[in-house]
Amino acid sequence: MTFKRLVKIAGFAGLLMGAAFQPLSAEEYPSKSVTIIVPFAAGGNTDAFARLVGQELDKRFGQRFIIENKPGAGGNVGLGDLSRAKADGYTLGMGTVSSNAINQTLYKVLPYDKDKGFAPVSLVATLPNVLVVNPKLSVKTVPELIDLLKKEPGKHTYASSGVGTSIHLAGELFSTRAGVKMTHVSYKSSGQAIMDVVAGHVDMMFDNIPTAAEQVKAGKVLSLAVTSAGKADLLPETPTMASYFPGFEATSWHGLFAPPGTPPEIVEKVSKAVGEILREPAMRQKLEGMGAKPEGNTPAEFAKFIDVETKKWAETIKAAGVPLQ
Amino acid sequence: MEFVSDLWLGASTAFLPMNLVYCFVGVLLGTAIGVLPGLGPTATIAMLLPMTFELQPVSALIMLAGIFYGAQYGGSTTAILINLPGESSSVVTAIDGYQMARKGRAGAALATAALGSFFAGTVSTLLLAVAAPPLAEIALSFGPAEYFSLMILGLVASVALASGSLLKAFAMIVFGLALGLVGTDVETGAARYTFGIPELYDGLNFVAVSMGIFGICEILRNLESESERTVGVKRVSGLMLAKDDLKRIVAPVLRGTALGSILGVLPGGGAMLSSFAAYALEKRVSSNRAEFGKGAIEGIAAPESANNAGAQTSFIPMLTLGIPGNPVMALMVGAMIIQGITPGPNVISSQPALFWGMIVSMWIGNLMLVVLNLPLIGLWVRLLTVPYSMLFPAIIVFCCIGAYSINNNIFDVLVMAGFSIVGFALSKMRFEPAPLLLGFILGPMLEENLRRAMLIGQGNPSIFVTSPLSLVLLLIAVGLLALVLSPRIRKTREEAFVE
Repeated sequence: MTFKRLVKIAGFAGLLMGAAFQPLSAEEYPSKSVTIIVPFAAGGNTDAFARLVGQELDKRFGQRFIIENKPGAGGNVGLGDLSRAKADGYTLGMGTVSSNAINQTLYKVLPYDKDKGFAPVSLVATLPNVLVVNPKLSVKTVPELIDLLKKEPGKHTYASSGVGTSIHLAGELFSTRAGVKMTHVSYKSSGQAIMDVVAGHVDMMFDNIPTAAEQVKAGKVLSLAVTSAGKADLLPETPTMASYFPGFEATSWHGLFAPPGTPPEIVEKVSKAVGEILREPAMRQKLEGMGAKPEGNTPAEFAKFIDVETKKWAETIKAAGVPLQ
Repeated sequence: MEFVSDLWLGASTAFLPMNLVYCFVGVLLGTAIGVLPGLGPTATIAMLLPMTFELQPVSALIMLAGIFYGAQYGGSTTAILINLPGESSSVVTAIDGYQMARKGRAGAALATAALGSFFAGTVSTLLLAVAAPPLAEIALSFGPAEYFSLMILGLVASVALASGSLLKAFAMIVFGLALGLVGTDVETGAARYTFGIPELYDGLNFVAVSMGIFGICEILRNLESESERTVGVKRVSGLMLAKDDLKRIVAPVLRGTALGSILGVLPGGGAMLSSFAAYALEKRVSSNRAEFGKGAIEGIAAPESANNAGAQTSFIPMLTLGIPGNPVMALMVGAMIIQGITPGPNVISSQPALFWGMIVSMWIGNLMLVVLNLPLIGLWVRLLTVPYSMLFPAIIVFCCIGAYSINNNIFDVLVMAGFSIVGFALSKMRFEPAPLLLGFILGPMLEENLRRAMLIGQGNPSIFVTSPLSLVLLLIAVGLLALVLSPRIRKTREEAFVE
């Protein structure tokens, strides 16, 4: 055996081994632990959804799915990390309507390439918002509220958990569609915001449904309309905003993303697993108990959904004249 | 008799062997992690939250509450031993606690913190059991206008925090206020002083800033004059409190407990304000005024009692209204929601075992904390006898881990490093860091509430005086200001503090 030949064989063997380590085959995925970046703090809704789904992915794939909270700048910091992660399926991220459909318009500068975006995996869950008003305002329906707001433009206030959140923009969308003027009062968390609505310091708010529903049941606030296309299970008596303004939809959605350029087979594989997890009765029950609607769809459907959402919020932001950051 | 049967229901839940174990595990883990620099209650709970997902809801909450007290107490331990307040409420503990440690009285300081906390925890838990719903009403009566006036009062009172020049204290408060402005403007969303760095959009992180300005800066100072430091720690004497000490802490503990119980109910920083307020109050009324800033035991007893009382009563808005008043409570609410219980005004009636079980377990948790920590004091104090050349690299490593773990981001470590240099420069010029941190905490709250109140009042500032509560707070602030500026007081102040 000549030395030359030995080198050749070694080179070939090396090539083979290299091929084995390539994440080419989606069949072998995942062969090590996977990180799911949550661009928000632990304990919030996005974190909860990521952990619930992550736990089940663990069981299904026999690999650890580790949740890493990386909050900051409305989700931009964590998503910046996701965009820079290796596109091999071993780093995933949980995005929301704010981080993946609103920030695109709201922020002038993003820490990632807006055009390249992300590889959508699957929509996980949607949470409707509900318009609640303090009883002192003495309106019981949306038309009554609109009458009042038209009579006294700008006099009444609505609370939100921050500029550009789905809670704030639901209010802006309502103002635009109803042709009314309200004063926006912004808080750092939805907890502080709903507290001031319950106390009567602020008149109303579009709050995420689980916490708001409890305040409604206790009679602290009145619910006028939910912002999902259909009625919400937690508040079956409350009409939809879409019944007054056709097509009105402002839900807080949460979905799984991969870095741009992740092999489609791997994205497909994770997406399928997430879909199956979300169809399990135990998981459905858990999510519904939180006021959320379990979703699950294909990467292509999710991508289309995001497009529609991004356009809708861009129009709302423009129409309302929300200053860009 | 309803009260007794309620407590009985709570006790029968909390004393289940399983729940006692979870309470103990929570307190133990909380103390163990909380004692690491930079890991305060929020970070510790966030880290350990997933552990509770598989538990029964009551057990999960009991364990989380245990972690909360444990971590809070752990923060005070580092504040006293190595001048490293891990969270906002132990900033003032560091002032006199660290001075006591330097005089070889770390044991007494830690014991004071433990006993004061336990007493405050007992009283405030009882208060929570008897009067949670009416106290929640107080929380609701505080709107933006009232908060603004409260913050003004807090700022005026904070001048009392300084032990040196009034002008320098004032400069530090203003510097702190300015630092607090960094980040996204809450009302308009405009980015201020962020220089395009996404990590700055949420402002400078308190833990990173305070670790830099206190802890790392202290290391720099010690390295500069190492001989002084080794002398300081060798004279470790008296782990427990002398009779005289006990006599001195009774009144401060009582005042601290009262103040903390009331302020803790207020969401959005009430509990945090309570330790500052208790310290400021103590400094005004104590007969040992001259000792403050140089290792006065009252300066530990009052704020430690206040922050523990505040920690208990900060559960009130969450348990009775379902509204989280601070980040820790927001985490608790998140945990409850994952457990399938959405907290709301009906939790007391719909989940009585959960509500009362938690209240009873709070007291058990406090008891466990004191039982666990009193024997540990000896161990902590011995830690100080480790040669400093070995101790300080360890502290720096833990600080870096702590800073990183806030947001899992290297940026906060850099902030900490930067502020250690700022802190060092300030200490060279004899500026004190405590007023700076107070300004840093109060600044954003002051601004947000001012602007919220103006929006709600349609731009009319009369909202601050038409609300009776707000008016009273403002009048107290004006009165206090007059006191500070009056020549007689100023003279005694100078006599007391400038030597």
